[in-house]
Amino acid sequence: MDRNVCVIAGGMSKWGVREGSQRDFFQEAAKACYDDNPLVKPKDIDGLLVASAYTERTSYQTHLAPLVAEYIGVKPKNVCARVELLCASGSSAIILAFAMIKSGQADVVMVTGGEKLYTPQKWEVFYSELASVDHDWDGSQGLGLPPPVFAMVAKQHMKQYGTKKEHLAQVSVKNRRNAVHNPNAQFRKAITMEEAMAARMIVPPLTLFDCCPITDGAAAIILAAEEKAKELTDRPLVYIRGTGQASVNNMSANMPTWTTWEALKIAAKQAYTKSRVEPKDIDVAMTHDCFTISEIIEMEDLGFCEKGEGGPFVADGQTDFGGKVPVNTDGGLLGCGHPFGGTGIRQGIEVMKQLRGDAAQQVPNAAIGLTHNLSGFIAAHTVVIYGREP
Amino acid sequence: MSTPGISVLDGKYMVTMDMFPQQSREFNQIYPFFEHLKEGRFTTTKCRECGAEPFPPRVLCPECLSTNLDWIDWPTVGTVVEVTEEVVGVPLGFGKPPLVHALVDLQGKRTFFVRIINCREGELKPGDQVKLAVFDIDPVPQEMGREVVMVPRVFYAFEPVK
Ligand SMILES: [Zn+2]
Repeated sequence: MDRNVCVIAGGMSKWGVREGSQRDFFQEAAKACYDDNPLVKPKDIDGLLVASAYTERTSYQTHLAPLVAEYIGVKPKNVCARVELLCASGSSAIILAFAMIKSGQADVVMVTGGEKLYTPQKWEVFYSELASVDHDWDGSQGLGLPPPVFAMVAKQHMKQYGTKKEHLAQVSVKNRRNAVHNPNAQFRKAITMEEAMAARMIVPPLTLFDCCPITDGAAAIILAAEEKAKELTDRPLVYIRGTGQASVNNMSANMPTWTTWEALKIAAKQAYTKSRVEPKDIDVAMTHDCFTISEIIEMEDLGFCEKGEGGPFVADGQTDFGGKVPVNTDGGLLGCGHPFGGTGIRQGIEVMKQLRGDAAQQVPNAAIGLTHNLSGFIAAHTVVIYGREP
Repeated sequence: MSTPGISVLDGKYMVTMDMFPQQSREFNQIYPFFEHLKEGRFTTTKCRECGAEPFPPRVLCPECLSTNLDWIDWPTVGTVVEVTEEVVGVPLGFGKPPLVHALVDLQGKRTFFVRIINCREGELKPGDQVKLAVFDIDPVPQEMGREVVMVPRVFYAFEPVK
């Protein structure tokens, strides 16, 4: 069996510094998802995948999927499990749900993901980040929190390719501006170039607005086999066309190069090939802007521009509305925030809306969309391509 | 020692909150790495079959799947490629800002991204030499039968060659 797979509903909770618990946010996300498509009922869902990275550390809860199922009224019969790949947990779960439906192992799968990251004492979440990299070898060097890693990437990209601080600032100005139109985003206030350039230093050359924040929240999306999708939605169908996920190293000492992300190039090639598209065919993209420099390198390694041209590509407005490929049209991580397990799902929801034609800020006639996550110490990359055609 | 909010944990060791690895034979098969560190040596495992020198050290060669591995010494002096200085957000346990890290070329073995200690803000530049610096960290109170034995531990960073 080899079936086409569609995305038929999606919604998210408010993201930010939230009052509430992890299970509160999963309920809010499910509600938003059901509200997006009232034709889908919990009884239609035969599989549930839950994406969460820090559930054990900040909520002291393993075996999360049956708990979430109980709370959101789903009684799965084909799969009920948690998926974890830190920042790419959500898109990893989408890939697995896609594969299960495509192969006939499930018909309708809800993928939900999110985190409760703020703890009663803030030091704990930062401390827990030591588990996000190779704990024994990189965490123990104080590299759990990512700013030093991406500052190192930025310094080297600047040295090798002439990328400027202004290019970095341009990314945060654009993504913050896009988040103004997203009612669920953590930050809904635009910033100026002057503010971005003068912001508080974190790790030179990265300043406050170059870094995505710590975020509470969740998101949910529903995937269905094409035949089911035709029964369960009256909106334009959005298909998942192809996916790729790659890792070539984990510990920092084994990084092949810091400014060209080999695993991203591999994951992108897999996704483009399986989707039968090329970079020039992508109409809209949600890429992993955990830091401004990330979005610049992603433009290069996804093939949207030449290597080393990411800075000028952004500065020319090629990633903004009217440019070659509008990127992070819903605000990205820099604007929406980044509850690890929720991010890939948030990206999938925005691409679904863009391809259905009902996004808050619509890219005219968007037909093919792409999502990308990086995770850990730039140690894995995940790419999913969606289309209005299968 | 007291643990506010969870009084039953007063005085208890929690491996889930330990930023450093376990270093005893009972909890880590590559414990010789840490024994060597105590002697000022920076070592890894070399495969006897194919010659690969993976890092981190391990019990299985990832290139040829041999378990015939020897400990070998790597250089303890390297050259700085680039430096970062974290001025905001230094995690608990890593001192006062700035937390300095450098990408260090260890004489072609690997390029390590490591913490630099004994180094003032702005002191380190690309091209500078840094050397291995070993320091004591908290011992682990480990149960051995009915006894609790304090297992001494060390860890490493690099420091400027003056
Ligand atoms: Zn070997």
